This record gives sequence, C-alpha cells and structure tokens, in this order.
Amino acid sequence: MTTSKIIHRQNKLKAKAGGQEDKQGFIEPKKIALAQSAIDENEENYTDEAQIVLQQINGAWKDLKSNKDKSKESELKKIFYNYANNIKDIAETFEDGLMGYFGNSLRDFSEKLDMSKTAHHTIVQAHIDVMFAAHKTGIKDKEHATAEELKRMLNKAIEKHID
Amino acid sequence: MDIGLKESNNGKQDKGYDLEGFRVLIVEDASFVANLLASCLLEMGVGSVVIAENVAAAKEKILENNAVSSEKNIDMILLDWLMPDGTGGDVLKWMRRHKNDIIRFIPVIVCSAYTSTKLVFESRDAGANEVVVKPISAGKISKRMLHLIDHPRPYIQSANFIGPDRRRKDLAFAGEDKRKEEAEIISE
Repeated sequence: MTTSKIIHRQNKLKAKAGGQEDKQGFIEPKKIALAQSAIDENEENYTDEAQIVLQQINGAWKDLKSNKDKSKESELKKIFYNYANNIKDIAETFEDGLMGYFGNSLRDFSEKLDMSKTAHHTIVQAHIDVMFAAHKTGIKDKEHATAEELKRMLNKAIEKHID
Repeated sequence: MDIGLKESNNGKQDKGYDLEGFRVLIVEDASFVANLLASCLLEMGVGSVVIAENVAAAKEKILENNAVSSEKNIDMILLDWLMPDGTGGDVLKWMRRHKNDIIRFIPVIVCSAYTSTKLVFESRDAGANEVVVKPISAGKISKRMLHLIDHPRPYIQSANFIGPDRRRKDLAFAGEDKRKEEAEIISE
C-alpha cells in the first residue's frame, strides 16, 4: 500500500500563456518596464499613504495602552504589529530608507513587547515620535545628518530603557 | 496548433508570454499595496485581477471563482503573509487540503515583508509554490510568475504534507534508502 503520491499536473499556465511545452518562455521586458512604471507612478501618493499608516500605528498604540482587558491584548498587539509591518513595507517599496529603518525596528521590537513594562511603552513611543518627525522632514536617506540625529535619539531611548 | 510563435535556436520562444487570459487573486490587507500590485500585474498584461483584503475574504473569493471549472477561475494567487485575521499560511493550508482540485492546486506566490528563513520554511511547508520578499518590484514578481509557468513542480501528497515538491534539485542520494514504500506517481 502506498501512502504518498507524486502528482504531475498538466501545465495549464503555460498553455494559457501561449507557450510551447519544450521551450523556455519570457515576459516582454517592455511590459515589465511598464509594470514597474505603474509602481513608480504611485510614489506621489506615498507621502499621504505613509501619513495614514502612521496615524493607524498611533491609534493602535493608544488602543493597546488603554486596554484593560488582558484577553484582548494579543489581538491588539497583532493589529499594532501589522501596521508596523505595513509602514516598513511601503517605505521600502518607495526607497524611503529612513522610514523603513524605523518601521523595521518598531516591528521587531513589537514582537517582544511586554505591556507590563513601562520601559517598553517609552521605547514604542520614541519610535512613533521619530517616525512622525521623519515623515515631517521628508528625508528618505537614512545616512542624512538629520536622519542620523533621529536615529541617535531613538537609540538613546532604547539604551536608556531596555532591560 | 499555430500559436504564432517562432522557434529560435537557443530553445527559447521568440515571443513573450501572453498573460491576457490570466486571472490573478491578490490577497493583501494594505489596500495601497494591493492596488500597486494590481496596477503592476495589469501593465504586465494580466487580463484580470481580483483583490481580497484578508484571510476570510480570500477563501470567499476562491470559492466564488473556483468552485467549478470556468473562464472565471483564478489561475494564480499573490498571497500576503501577515493579515489581521490570520496568516497566508491559513489560506494555503485550507487550499491544499480542499477536496476540489480546482482550488487545491492553484499556484501561490507568497509576498511578505518578513524576510526570515523561518517564514520561507513555513510558507514552503504550508504549500507555497514561490516566495517573494517585499518590497515589491515588477522584476521580482515577473521572475516568480515566469518560474511558475516554465518550471512547475509536481505536487506531493502525504500524510503530513500537500504541496509542490519541496526539493528544487534532483540530487542523487548515496545513503541507505529507509523508505518502506514507494510513492504512487500520478499524471493528471
């Protein structure tokens, strides 16, 4: 008796795309360039979108801080984590290195976030503050002097309050 | 059948793939990113795009479009990993164990901003065909789509796993063969 199966499926995708079974295909480079342009054209909407996500992060953080029901904490943390992940994601798509750096740091920190520790509250708030500040300056280069200053401020808060 | 392609000498087609007949489901909770992906796919030539904003909506769209074989069938899924009501893994596991083959074997590209090897293994073990690490770009998406079209892997069905063969290379094994039984090979 056999318990495992190896299933070879018909290559329907290749047939649908008009490909020949024994030939390696490709997607027209012109179409890939057009597709990349469609992404790049949205850069003008990035600033507004980043502002929306930052407000979502801030709102989710307020909900977490004011929550008194322990059974809801995990769900609220998940929402907060998700927004931190979203800002990292869109920031990196539009080469906003500085916001991506802070988003990544916040997301990683929120994985170990302990709401019973006030130091953790301070660290999260420091992240949110520098992210809003970074957004206001419009600086994307994480090596820029102002960016370095914001990073230094965040690191100082982390070093001061981390266990 | 004449499909308007000329053969070249290097084993490659002379004409690019026509993706007009493709219907792709994008599962992504961030609407801005979902719209970016949709624009990207449509410019690439994909004929139709469907968007679902969470795990529950994804299952609903899949059931709605792939219950029976039709022109409406979703051919491919771009699946975000972290969503408010679950993970991409929840969608994948549900699909790969579905009794309907039109749902069970939809090719899936997992797109995630989470770059850990843990995620790659998790998505692979849940039955993903390909993984793309965000940030998204047309180059990355097209490369993974092309891989799905040109190099589909057979599906493995065992007691603990249903999904594309997790081995990408066919390497000879020099050790003792401890398998008690041979796998049944099926061509569909």
